[in-house]
Amino acid sequence: MSSNNMSDLRRPAKILRYKAPSTESNPTLEDPTPDYMNLLGMIFSMCGLMLKLKWCAWIAVYCSFISFANSRSSEDTKQMMSSFMLSISAVVMSYLQNPQPMSPPW
Amino acid sequence: MRSACVLMIPALLLLLALPLSRGRYNDDFDDGEDLADFDDNDFAEFEDMNEDQAAEAETAPPPRASPSSQPEEDEDEDEATVELEDGMDGFDDSETQDQDMYSKYDQEEFEGIGDMEKPGHSMKDPLIIHTVPAHLQNSWESYYMEILMVTGLLAYIMNYIIGKNKNSRLAQSWFNSHKELLESNFALVGDDGTSKDAVSTGKLNQENEHIYNLWCSGRVCCEGMLIQLKFLKRQDLLNVLARMMRPAGDQVQIKVTLNEEDMDTFVFAVGTKKSMAKLQKEMQDLSEFCGDKPKSGAKYGLPESLTILSEMGEVTDGVMDNKMVHYITNNADKIESIHFSDQFSGPKVMQEEGQPLKLPDTKKSLMFTFNVPGMGNTSPKDMDALLPLMNMVIYSIDKVKKLRLNREGKIKADRNRARVEENFLKQTHAQRQEAAQTRREEKKRAEKERIMAEEDPERQRRLEEAAQRRDQKKIEKKQMKMKQIKVKAM
Repeated sequence: MSSNNMSDLRRPAKILRYKAPSTESNPTLEDPTPDYMNLLGMIFSMCGLMLKLKWCAWIAVYCSFISFANSRSSEDTKQMMSSFMLSISAVVMSYLQNPQPMSPPW
Repeated sequence: MRSACVLMIPALLLLLALPLSRGRYNDDFDDGEDLADFDDNDFAEFEDMNEDQAAEAETAPPPRASPSSQPEEDEDEDEATVELEDGMDGFDDSETQDQDMYSKYDQEEFEGIGDMEKPGHSMKDPLIIHTVPAHLQNSWESYYMEILMVTGLLAYIMNYIIGKNKNSRLAQSWFNSHKELLESNFALVGDDGTSKDAVSTGKLNQENEHIYNLWCSGRVCCEGMLIQLKFLKRQDLLNVLARMMRPAGDQVQIKVTLNEEDMDTFVFAVGTKKSMAKLQKEMQDLSEFCGDKPKSGAKYGLPESLTILSEMGEVTDGVMDNKMVHYITNNADKIESIHFSDQFSGPKVMQEEGQPLKLPDTKKSLMFTFNVPGMGNTSPKDMDALLPLMNMVIYSIDKVKKLRLNREGKIKADRNRARVEENFLKQTHAQRQEAAQTRREEKKRAEKERIMAEEDPERQRRLEEAAQRRDQKKIEKKQMKMKQIKVKAM
């Protein structure tokens, strides 16, 4: 049922501005994936750097990609970039220290 | 000349005997030519050998230098050992003994040499040819794991771009098909809350790569309407893979907030069995006001798959008029849940230590959740199918404004609300008492501090007296109350 053209139901005087939903109720509704992935990525890249494990560093790269894909647009890019850089540096450092190719676990 | 050669030859032999393998000798010895020459010249064999050895001596060091030709040498040795073994079988063979003079020791002359040699040979037999370590090889084939990883990353990036674009196209097609209807009903279509003037942005607000918002406002009967397009996470490859096991669909969630005068007091919900069960458990208002199990919608002409949760029968009769039933029946596959409530306060708050001391804020709202047809494999064309649902939403807004409970219904509704409030107050009674007690103590402390801080002793005394008098009055009051209660009880 479309609105009757004769009686316009619009009321410009009654306009209410959009207010983003409060963050108090949000934490439970929000998807925690980007935050978890960010944290995982940092942990894996630190493991990769300290323990010189190549597969850790690669997983860290994957984690930071996943975190980026799931991130909200309101999240600042600095966090994303820093996790990216950390994981890439973990990969690079692992290969500089040990140029051998990665051996599969099987 | 000849004598010089003769002298040089043994020297050369001695020099070459060390690096050269024994096999070399056997090779030469087994050469038929040498045997033939043996008779002509005592040293003919050496001559041949010398030439051969000279040639071999030149070739020997270069192959030795390059490790890749190790296998060749090993092969020579292998060949040699094979032949040697043939000859070795004849340790007792007198024929071969004469030929292998230089490599084999006469068993009769030397004791225990055979034992010494045998282990030597057995050590030589199982030759382990090591492959060159991977990092010394210059081929990229050994880095296949890394190549796999990079390929995986590229696949992820490709999926991200494709998924993002698909979601964006779906959102845009939804908006294009609904734009006209929304603009004819609302003065403000599209607002992100940041601009100074309340001007329609005329486009969706992208919150995520898979969530799009639209805020519409400026209409009779309602404060505003928030539409959320919650698509699947097509941009995340992990999610795409997870969806292959557990199919899911895109959803459109609409929340209409109403003014106080726009809605009478009732709580009502209709939807699929699963969603109704979930909502009844999760939502504060549904769990408090609609305590009964969901009833089948068949009674009101709805398909079997839908169930109804209602505060009272009158509400259901009021909401489910012919047009509404018509709308719902025609679009039953797309409806996930419809929830009308004047006491909507969101999902139940988790019971923490400090329970909320007052009832949560309620807002009169209508909530609709629709499933986009296609169950994940949606195309932009499918978005047109949601247009009748938007018509239903608009119709509902007008209907709810006109819907008024009769007297009995109103009395029942008010009683329900009073009951809920009382329950809540009882639950928090103890806590509220504690809070009140702490507040009173705080007040007393503050007063005492004020008295102590007062420098003038006169004023101090006067304030103390005032405080004492107040306390006395309170005690008297309490005593009076207790007496009254006692009298009443009697």
